[in-house]
Amino acid sequence: MKIKSSLNFKVKSNLNALDLVIDSFSQIDKITIPKKDWLQCQLALVEAFTNAVRHAHKDLSQETEIEIKITLVEGCLEIYIWDYGPPFDLQAYLKNLSHQKPNNWAEGGRGIPILHKIADRLDYIRDENNRNCLSIIKYFSPIQENLADERN
Amino acid sequence: MNDFVKIFQPSGILDGTKAKEFQQEISASLEKDTKIILVDFQDVTFMDSSGLGSLVLLLKTVRAAGAKIFLCSLNDQIKILFELTSMDRIFTIFPTRSDFEEDIVQQEL
Repeated sequence: MKIKSSLNFKVKSNLNALDLVIDSFSQIDKITIPKKDWLQCQLALVEAFTNAVRHAHKDLSQETEIEIKITLVEGCLEIYIWDYGPPFDLQAYLKNLSHQKPNNWAEGGRGIPILHKIADRLDYIRDENNRNCLSIIKYFSPIQENLADERN
Repeated sequence: MNDFVKIFQPSGILDGTKAKEFQQEISASLEKDTKIILVDFQDVTFMDSSGLGSLVLLLKTVRAAGAKIFLCSLNDQIKILFELTSMDRIFTIFPTRSDFEEDIVQQEL
């Protein structure tokens, strides 16, 4: 499959880098991704990034880098985020979450449920370099380029 | 008009940090006579879940003070955030500021 767009960048563990993360994502081809899917993926990326800063890198220096890779192939957007935090069992967390009634009045705790809803596949895997990789895979029905041309 | 109705119009990215500042501004207005608050999202480009979390906290504060809070002019990204978290059922949201004015101000004043 032909890669239409790919991005790889690193940001510091600082919430101030949020603008940069949003700006970087805007480089991803908007023509063939339906707007709703594009916006959902943008939100998923932001939630994943802020989660890494707030939780995974809670006890690490703000200088610690978070690596982000985004790959767009026909009908599928893949987002990978690497952090240096402690291991975390995402699947167990999600399983536990599915047994709980969501608390509408909570101030926090919405990040992972949002990722879970947006992603078609969501994984958090420990790699051999003691990093964790969160992967967010989202499928969509691509807008055909000729139709996209008319739309724009 | 006094401070009975107060409109806030934050701008840019509304994340947890920014929403907290804005939340303090609103809390301060509650100490006066404000009973109705409108947050106009016209100039907000992006909001994440921590921005939303602060907004929920604000909703609780406003209700505890016996006041009401309404939102308007959410962009598509913010609408998606509200839908994904079912917060569109918790907040009263108007399409535009004039919809709010027609509906609420007429009714309350």
